[in-house]
Amino acid sequence: MRSLSDRLATVRRGSAAPSRAVEDRAERLARWFDARLSAEGRGGAVVIERSLSLGAADADALAGLPPACYFDTETTGLSTGAGTVIFLAGLGWVQGDVFVARQYLLPDYPHEAGLLRGVCRELGALRRMVTYNGRSFDLPLLVARLTMNGLFAEMAALPQQHDDLLPLARRLWRRPLGGARLAHVETGVLGVRRTSDCPGSEVPERYFSYLRSGSPDALAEVLDHNLQDIASLALIEAELVRLRAGGWRQAGILDRRGMAIDLLRSGAADEALELLEDAIVACTEPVEAVALRRLATRLLIKAGEVDRAEALWRSGTQRASLDAAAAWIEIARIRERHRSDLHGALEATRAAWRVLDLAFALGRGGGMLSIGKMRLQVSSRRRRLTRRVDAAERRAARRLRVA
Amino acid sequence: MLVNRPASVEDAIAALLADPAVEPLIAAHRVLEAQPPRHAPWPSTIDERIVSALRGRSVEALYTHQAASFAETQAGRNVVVVTPTASGKTLCYNLPVLDAVARDPTARALYLFPTKALAADQLAELRALADAAEIDLKTSTYDGDTPANVRSVVRAAGQVVITNPDMLHAAILPHHTNWFKLFENLRYVVIDELHTYRGLFGSHVANVIRRLRRICRHYGADPIFICASATIANPQDLAQRLIEAPVTLIDDNGAPRGRKHVVIVNPPVVNAQLGLRGSSLLTGQRLAQRLIADGVQTIVFARSRTSVEVLTTYLREALPAPPGHDSPIRGYRGGYLPNERRAIEQGLRDGHVRGVVATNALELGIDIGGLDAAISVGYPGTIASTWQQMGRSGRRNGASLSVMVASSAPIDQFLAAHPDYFFDHSPEHGLINPDNLHLLLDHLKASAFELPVPAVERFGLDETATLLDVLSEDGFLRRADDDRYYWSHENFPASSFSLRSAAQENVVIIDTTGDRHRVIGEVDLFAAPMQVHEQAIYIHEGAQFHVDRLDWDERKAYVTRVDVDYYTDADLGVTLKVLDVFDQTDTGARARGEVMVAWHATLFKKIKFHTHENVGWGPINLPEQQMHTAACWLVLPDAVVARFDRDTLDGALIGLARLARNTAPLLLMCDVRDLGVLSQAQAPFTGKPTLYLYDAVPGGVGLAERLFGIADELVEACRAAVRDCPCADGCPSCVGPMLEVGERGKAACLELLTALA
Repeated sequence: MRSLSDRLATVRRGSAAPSRAVEDRAERLARWFDARLSAEGRGGAVVIERSLSLGAADADALAGLPPACYFDTETTGLSTGAGTVIFLAGLGWVQGDVFVARQYLLPDYPHEAGLLRGVCRELGALRRMVTYNGRSFDLPLLVARLTMNGLFAEMAALPQQHDDLLPLARRLWRRPLGGARLAHVETGVLGVRRTSDCPGSEVPERYFSYLRSGSPDALAEVLDHNLQDIASLALIEAELVRLRAGGWRQAGILDRRGMAIDLLRSGAADEALELLEDAIVACTEPVEAVALRRLATRLLIKAGEVDRAEALWRSGTQRASLDAAAAWIEIARIRERHRSDLHGALEATRAAWRVLDLAFALGRGGGMLSIGKMRLQVSSRRRRLTRRVDAAERRAARRLRVA
Repeated sequence: MLVNRPASVEDAIAALLADPAVEPLIAAHRVLEAQPPRHAPWPSTIDERIVSALRGRSVEALYTHQAASFAETQAGRNVVVVTPTASGKTLCYNLPVLDAVARDPTARALYLFPTKALAADQLAELRALADAAEIDLKTSTYDGDTPANVRSVVRAAGQVVITNPDMLHAAILPHHTNWFKLFENLRYVVIDELHTYRGLFGSHVANVIRRLRRICRHYGADPIFICASATIANPQDLAQRLIEAPVTLIDDNGAPRGRKHVVIVNPPVVNAQLGLRGSSLLTGQRLAQRLIADGVQTIVFARSRTSVEVLTTYLREALPAPPGHDSPIRGYRGGYLPNERRAIEQGLRDGHVRGVVATNALELGIDIGGLDAAISVGYPGTIASTWQQMGRSGRRNGASLSVMVASSAPIDQFLAAHPDYFFDHSPEHGLINPDNLHLLLDHLKASAFELPVPAVERFGLDETATLLDVLSEDGFLRRADDDRYYWSHENFPASSFSLRSAAQENVVIIDTTGDRHRVIGEVDLFAAPMQVHEQAIYIHEGAQFHVDRLDWDERKAYVTRVDVDYYTDADLGVTLKVLDVFDQTDTGARARGEVMVAWHATLFKKIKFHTHENVGWGPINLPEQQMHTAACWLVLPDAVVARFDRDTLDGALIGLARLARNTAPLLLMCDVRDLGVLSQAQAPFTGKPTLYLYDAVPGGVGLAERLFGIADELVEACRAAVRDCPCADGCPSCVGPMLEVGERGKAACLELLTALA
């Protein structure tokens, strides 16, 4: 059986190139934006070339990164169904201290295959592409469009590496900013202020309006919007480079726990630890403090620094409270698992029990229910540890007798 | 009770039919003799592994219809298989599909079932066969219950995808690029339970298939359609209208059948003067009670959810379970939760459940095995579904019993008096109207979203281009310079309409009796004002719940468990407004057009169990619901109207509406529920007494239009029904009892009909 791409290729070869009238539309659009027609020529997209200058700090930060294409699309709808079309694809590159962008704009629906070929050729020229939410939106949509048009060779040539910045932004900024949409990051972190722009929700209607009237007027702001989108991707990467290089020490708006995870993933375990220990000291939120300590404990134990791990929790055992009991339980766990110190673990468990009694007596433990639950936890751990200690002692006694 | 239990099912049936209390009620009794199997040799081309797998399950040869289906599909022809319940229909499609996958692992098939429950059932059966044949078959259901992580696997690698038309419409076709492996290699499309695709739903599905075929063409596939249907008059015609391609009919059933008694029972006359007969519900209950007590596994079909619950309650009272055991009697209807239904189906198969009371939810091919007896309480509305219900009883060998208990409804009484009509007449036609413009426009939008439409393409009508222009003007499509229409709108069109006539939303029923609230069921939005208005008694699995609060906006009904000796029944008020006249006779006496029908539940009655006396009432305060549909209407001539005073006229009109409601479905071959009837003594539109008949689904499926064409026949049939009825002044079998239509109601109604003729 012939493959789908073969069969579709035949179909495509048979199909007529866009007619004269379509050509006019493309040419008019190109003139309006002082742009050129894409290399596909007849039936291709209009390509608008633009550039922005980068600040020295951003340019320096980006210089060390492997080259990438920053990519974002504007579409006729939000679903990834077969009827949603990419009418504008923005691609951007860093060249020294200039951000160079090429925007592929669709003059009309019949030009789609041309636009897609052009965009894929540019994307495929580099190994890495960077998007914001591209994993669940832009890329699936691009693949859907390529499938619709039978462009399977183009699909195969897409870059191997795709860095979606949305998960990173979520980790680093969602909690302090109250959201991780690109606009949140731009205003809260990058200090970007959009001037000539249109809200994302209006974008599809702008394009429909252009198609109806033939007047490219309404598209100018969409082009600006898209340009800023891809430029912001580069700025986020620059910010990331700085944060990873120690900028986290000065950063005002930053999720410390998220940053620690990020450092950890990029191999900077020591810095991650340093960050965590600072954060624990500064943290006033009990739940967050526990989460930070847990993460730090994991790191320290991996690094073989069991003493430091225990010390992390020690600082939390000072006041008689449920949190202190929880800290003692963590200490017990560390001693049992990572020091094989059963006696020490049992001792810590007893301490947890005492703290609970005290917290209850002082009325600091919250409700009866939470104290009760913790008590059950502590007592079962205590029983288990007692059994293990006894068993170990019996074994030791036997060995002694044999000897 | 159990001491004199008959030795066999055959004996129990014979004893029941000979019982002096039952025998006089038998209006008709036919015996369908046992039929031996007819086999055909294994097709020479079929994969050996499948043959040995079937041999391993003691299938030594194929039945003739199974072999025919295989041969036809191998020759590249579409087929529709029409054989009774439990005749091995499933193999008619599983054989060619499994054979295709065995030969070529890239081959794909798509199965469509009308419900998720059926899909789950068929998945199990197909898997079992593939496993036995040691064929590595990747198959899964794809519906609302499929977990997200399984979905992507099914899309890429599923060889047989089992789904329903709704899912195909809203999830698969609009995202066809994710499914291109399926569409590119699609060999077979299986459409089971074809007869359910009639009326509005069928008209929608026909359009979904148009869309499916467009997508297949785009990816270069041309699948063969295998349809299977219960017995209807026009399976071939329906299949051809549905898929718009030639279809070969296979109706030569080679499966064996045990001896079967088919009986029509008419409840006794309890008031000769009023022509009143005993309740079909109570008669059905007595028959079922006796059969179950005698060890005969029995299914009882009731017409409404309420009667299912009432019957379940009665039977459980009469046949209590031993202490500490679950009752062997179960209710089964829509609104039960899926796991509850699975448990009941399993109980029927393994014999723990001895009796089940069901709505037509069990009419379809859910695998519950053959039961010993099936009792339909009241005529189910069509001959096809009566046979379908009757088909639920029947074993390969050994006797079975099917009973239809006639209610006092005119059709039921007509059938009891003329059983030949039931036994010898052809069953109904499945009617669809895929070119209903409402539907066509919606599906054309969805289709254009899926794939641009060339101006020269034909979608349903020759005037497709006109429709496309309309959609362009409305801003949904854009005609580009390559003469193709592109979807040019932000919305996702497939999500804006549903394939089913019922409302998309359901009202959730929440039991607040215990310390934790729990959801016990759902009712659809149309039925909610009748079933879960405040103070209603909602009956679920035989337990009664009082509706304390109905939060209409949130679609939630809060109920508590109660134990009372009554149930509730709501009255529905209906109004109708003519919006447009499409066609009329010269005098305007008959017309058809578009109308808006509004209905409003206004009050409810409390009705005592067993005595059925009215013990109270209350108001219902819920918003009115509306629909636009097609109607046909008859205006009564002034001359005849002038003969009667207002009260007499009102009575005669009530009688006329009742006659029309019951007679029209026989002429149209549709279900009684598909058609609405309303008479107005002073109709606002015509200014005269008028009888309206309308399609009971939004937009209509062509019933009213057809009635306009056969109005003479309708009037004549109504006239004959009144004229030939032996009662004196009206009875439930013709115009209705005298209490409802007045002393001169019957005579006046006959005069009206004569004037209309």
